[in-house]
Amino acid sequence: MHPVNWIIVGVYVLYVLVDGIRRAKGTDRIEGYFLANKSLPWWVVGLSVMATQLSAITMIGTTGQGATDGLRFVQFYFGLPLAMVILGVTLVPFLHGSKVFTAYEYLEKRFDARTRSLTSFLFLMSRGMSAGAIMAAPAVVFSAVFGWPLTWTVALIGLPTVLYTMVGGVQAVAWADVKQMVLIVFALVSMVAVLLFKMPVNPDEALQIAGATGRLQVFDFSFNLTNTYTFWSGLIGGTFLMLSYFGTDQSQVQRYLAARSADEARSSLLMSAYWKIPLQALVLLVGVLVFVYYQFQAPPLLYNPAQETEVRAERGDAYAELEERYQSAFTLREAAALHLAEADDAGISPEAAMTAFQAREADIQVIRGEALAMAEEVTGQSSNDVNYIIPRFVLGELPIGLAGLFIAGVLAAAMSSIAAELASLSTASVIDFYRRWFRPEADDAHYLKVSKWATGFWGIFACVVAVYAATLGSLIEVVNRFGSFFYGSILGVFFLAMVPRASGLGSFYGLLAGMGAVAAVTYGAPDVSFLWHNVIGAMTVLVVGVVLSRFGKTEPEPDAP
Amino acid sequence: MAAGEADKVTDRNRFRKTLVRVLIVQVVALVLLWALQAHYNVM
Repeated sequence: MHPVNWIIVGVYVLYVLVDGIRRAKGTDRIEGYFLANKSLPWWVVGLSVMATQLSAITMIGTTGQGATDGLRFVQFYFGLPLAMVILGVTLVPFLHGSKVFTAYEYLEKRFDARTRSLTSFLFLMSRGMSAGAIMAAPAVVFSAVFGWPLTWTVALIGLPTVLYTMVGGVQAVAWADVKQMVLIVFALVSMVAVLLFKMPVNPDEALQIAGATGRLQVFDFSFNLTNTYTFWSGLIGGTFLMLSYFGTDQSQVQRYLAARSADEARSSLLMSAYWKIPLQALVLLVGVLVFVYYQFQAPPLLYNPAQETEVRAERGDAYAELEERYQSAFTLREAAALHLAEADDAGISPEAAMTAFQAREADIQVIRGEALAMAEEVTGQSSNDVNYIIPRFVLGELPIGLAGLFIAGVLAAAMSSIAAELASLSTASVIDFYRRWFRPEADDAHYLKVSKWATGFWGIFACVVAVYAATLGSLIEVVNRFGSFFYGSILGVFFLAMVPRASGLGSFYGLLAGMGAVAAVTYGAPDVSFLWHNVIGAMTVLVVGVVLSRFGKTEPEPDAP
Repeated sequence: MAAGEADKVTDRNRFRKTLVRVLIVQVVALVLLWALQAHYNVM
């Protein structure tokens, strides 16, 4: 990468670090450290919530998915605005008014200590692992693209984030998120502008080419439980997932608990609801435009540079032959794409031009398939290179400065997500376990010191998990599956909290039953999309919890802090 | 006390306005995406 790009990345990381540490003012008590003294304006909370969701994998993985699969992934978010509205009128005012530090603390007030501890423990396990997985994804890509050892790239992402989160708490995290969000959107919009400027066809023709390959299909109204991206799975399963994520996950709840008032808290959630679908569509559109751009500029046969090098070393001749076929097929596809773009003006039948283009595109996919199979044989690893499409494009095709801006944007996205996770992990560890079970009477200064060490501990834990997650590729999948076991079930416990006669007995065993039901579906019917697991988990907890609550009532413990 | 009440009313009004805007943005976004699919997508 050009030195100017590196300077941009370096200045950005330094700026976030210095500003985060500067924001440590006012964090001399745990209310300041964990909840920013409930002083954050709604727009800061809103941007912070949005930045947390936009992880590095969104910047490189989702854009790559747009290039290979088109816009249909946006359906995944159709439930989000609905979930935000539901939370805005139900849970948010409830939690904000409860004067709690964690969502799980409220469960002890409503049910009992064991329900609180179990949900908080499940949160710590899943979020601790997922913080590592979130860090691993961009670290692996940077490692392959720049040829650096993985531990360096993990350190590049992890260390500044741990430092400013540890020193500045939620105040530093939220204000850093605002800058990170601005940078991310600017980088994406700039990329769209550069792509449109560099392509030899106009935007209308570019969209025609994308449409001819099905990449502009957004809506799929089929009701198929095994298909993750349909209108119905997005709307129903997605609503439950988003309710669970924004309503019960401490990394999100902590943001709106830091807002000045309950109404500012719910306004901040609605702000995030505003832009999620348009922003996600923009992210995917960047990928679609990169696909169109590569109709006129030969793309690499393999996008993962580390695998490409290995394949060249092991199977040089066979790979060179594939590259030759790829180049010929590319030339034919380029001509077919131009024909399609100019069909109307040149008096050519658009249908014939489209059929010819689709045939040439299919030829390219066959050769790519052969190259990917060869990479898999040589490296013994998955050759899925969707996460490498955008980094290769950025480093090879973007002008100096903009590439640095995009890499800084990826770092920003990674840092904002990880910082939120670390702050919430520290809060849950200290408030739900340390203060609740070990040192209930210590002073604020003591809790503050312990909280900073807890943030540091979770930061190191995440870095270690990131290094292992990267070497044991399937660990990320394990983390996701593990997480999906109880996401819906925890939501079910909060639903149950709104049922007047629900008891601690019902909530505790209902939670276990919910996780059991999701485990049964996961292994008994593995084809069912994970979005439906949230519906199954939440509903099981609610039904079992209500039934069991008829048999016994556990009162909340009177001495709960 | 009166200032606190006034703040609450302002907050509530802002929430309602934001809610209406959110719904409008969603409808506009979905209509635009639908138009994009209907006009260009052929598969």
